[in-house]
Amino acid sequence: MASNTLYILLCSGEHEKVQMAAMIASVAAVSERPVEVFVSMNALLAFAKNASSDTRYHGAAFSQLLKEKKAPDPMTLFSQGRELGDLKLWACSMALDVKGWELDRLEDGLFEGALGLTKFLSDAESGQFITL
Amino acid sequence: MTTREKIDARGAFCPGPLMELIAKLKLVQVGDEIEVLSTDKGSANDIPEWVKKVHHEMVGVTHQQDGVWSIVVRKAK
Repeated sequence: MASNTLYILLCSGEHEKVQMAAMIASVAAVSERPVEVFVSMNALLAFAKNASSDTRYHGAAFSQLLKEKKAPDPMTLFSQGRELGDLKLWACSMALDVKGWELDRLEDGLFEGALGLTKFLSDAESGQFITL
Repeated sequence: MTTREKIDARGAFCPGPLMELIAKLKLVQVGDEIEVLSTDKGSANDIPEWVKKVHHEMVGVTHQQDGVWSIVVRKAK
């Protein structure tokens, strides 16, 4: 039986929240559960193209631990989730506008495109919703 | 003839070993086995859960004397 789609609203650019979103999204996607991630606000900055892993994520002690222990990088996990499962990432069109960015400012090969919050919320009515 | 492939995921944290397993599963034939070597206890628990959910087959999980987990999965579909 097909699982309900999991919808993740990722607003925070904090390392632990981006990490958790990537872990949830990738594991759910490879477990035959469709996943859609809406990336907005500070989280969008974590997806900036060619950012260094040292500056990409904000965070304190646990962020440092994640880096020191070489935990799987969230960008890699999102990419694996897309490749191995049904995972779609959408960039918030409002956040792009506020930042003055086009999609080409974000990491290549991760996003389906830009999306408005209204459409995402409408789609999410039929599934499970998580905010990070 | 079935084969057994090995993934050395020692030192990788969750969900790294699982992701490596899934990528390898796509490349092997039904009936083939994959052994994942992992130092991550969470993966030793999570990989069997994933295998059960997506209907592959667990061959076994062994905690070796050197502290490494050996997790063997058979591709079932």
